[in-house]
Amino acid sequence: MPDMLEITAYALQVLLIIMAIAIVTHKNTGTIIVLIAVFSLVTASLYVINKAPDVAIAEVAIGSAIIPLIYVISISRQREFIVLDKAMDDFIISDDAFTGVGYIFLKRFTDFYHLELNISNDVRLCSVGRGREQKLCEETNVDLIVSKDEETGKYLLKGKESNILMHKLKQMARDYDAIEVITFKDRDFGD
Amino acid sequence: MDPMLTFLVILIGMYGLSTSKNIIKSVFSVTIIESGVILLFLNLGNWRGGSIPIINGAADIIADPLPQALMITTIVIGSTVTALALMLCIKVFHHYGTVEWREILRRGEGK
Amino acid sequence: MIRQGILIVMLLAIFAVFIVSLSDLDQLYQTSADYFREYGAEQTGSNNLVTAILLDYRLFDSLFEAGILLIAVSGIIWISKHDIEEKNARFMLDKFKTPDLFVTFSRLVYPLMLAFGFYIIVNGHVSPGGGFQGGAIVATAILILYYIDAEKETNIGMIVTVEKFLYLTILIIASLSIFTRGTFFTNVFPYDTHGGSNQAIYLVTLNILVGFKVALGLWAIFTAFLKEGR
Repeated sequence: MPDMLEITAYALQVLLIIMAIAIVTHKNTGTIIVLIAVFSLVTASLYVINKAPDVAIAEVAIGSAIIPLIYVISISRQREFIVLDKAMDDFIISDDAFTGVGYIFLKRFTDFYHLELNISNDVRLCSVGRGREQKLCEETNVDLIVSKDEETGKYLLKGKESNILMHKLKQMARDYDAIEVITFKDRDFGD
Repeated sequence: MDPMLTFLVILIGMYGLSTSKNIIKSVFSVTIIESGVILLFLNLGNWRGGSIPIINGAADIIADPLPQALMITTIVIGSTVTALALMLCIKVFHHYGTVEWREILRRGEGK
Repeated sequence: MIRQGILIVMLLAIFAVFIVSLSDLDQLYQTSADYFREYGAEQTGSNNLVTAILLDYRLFDSLFEAGILLIAVSGIIWISKHDIEEKNARFMLDKFKTPDLFVTFSRLVYPLMLAFGFYIIVNGHVSPGGGFQGGAIVATAILILYYIDAEKETNIGMIVTVEKFLYLTILIIASLSIFTRGTFFTNVFPYDTHGGSNQAIYLVTLNILVGFKVALGLWAIFTAFLKEGR
């Protein structure tokens, strides 16, 4: 009778290969994170079968919690579009509900590119002066700053020139009279 | 235990690294390659069979502890390197608005 | 399609080379196992031979590994650094809330995981475990705290400062052996053929220091990520 441990080891290795193929070829990144977590558990059990319990403990501790967490955060960050609302009037929120013209415009834009719209009116960030808006855009996670031009009454949407989403936003905003898109020029990145 | 099956995992990771269009998927492939390399080293250390490398009693043959000690450090280092790559990836997305390799390379050349 | 075909052919060529060289590889890690089994326990005082290699025979490697961890953590924090004072910005659409059942269960599990991590660290020289593994478990236990209280604020600079000092302490303790045995980076206490309890003191001390260093490093990493994600 063949050794059961050996059969288990072969089965787990074949499972590992199948999961590796699934991770490489799968399209949905959310599924891949779950697969990566299970992948590290299967490798941990293979380490035990290979007579290495020390390595297995390290793999379980790191591969089952910390690695999936950092993947989840970096992937969810790529589905967000963070807007800082400095206008503080009915452009985005009217009567405690999201029914403003600007909100509908931004919602249409983010739905089109499968992003999740996140609107912030954080007091500390809104108090940043006009001259430092470019710095704010470069150094924090804010993708877009909404403010109101007092003279013309237009709403200004500001973002970075290097961001590819801003070009698409510019094209979309052509139909709207009350919206103007401004892009900041690049400075040297990573000096 | 078969080192050949383990080496296939490394090759699949290499395939994913070469064909991925997305930065995140490249990082996934690096994680797969890393697991495959660790498993390969442990396979080679456990070639003769034997028991775990902890001495309590009379064990004639033990698995070699040297590759195991090296691989523990590899796991800890690998996780931090993955974290560094993902943090860079977040910054790249914030700057360019996309994580597609092709798009980023095109924009980098046009500058 | 042609490119993928070429790629697969090249990968298969690598595979063929590996199969050919496999017969030479089997002698790679065989002779050293007998030496470690024969002399490892009495030379280092550690029943767990992996810990013996990490903290005695190849302590030099482990030290630089801990150094790489420190450098990577510093790099992550430097990349994610903001000049503008930004704490957790509140979003209007943010409806995230941890379920109550999960919070209760986490409160129950957290002290158990912490105790298990310490157990793994302290018993590194007699059972599977050691500084690196136990440090990872302690870091995972600390991660649970963030599930319980999502708004928790942490000072990353403080964590990294403590980690640097721990690293210096590890370096100093590791080089103490120049006075007693004449070489750097090995056990402080000389060979102890009967019992080896002196050597165990050194192993446990170094395991605890390395464990805390690794835990602090991983803590700093996922704090930086959680800050980025909110």
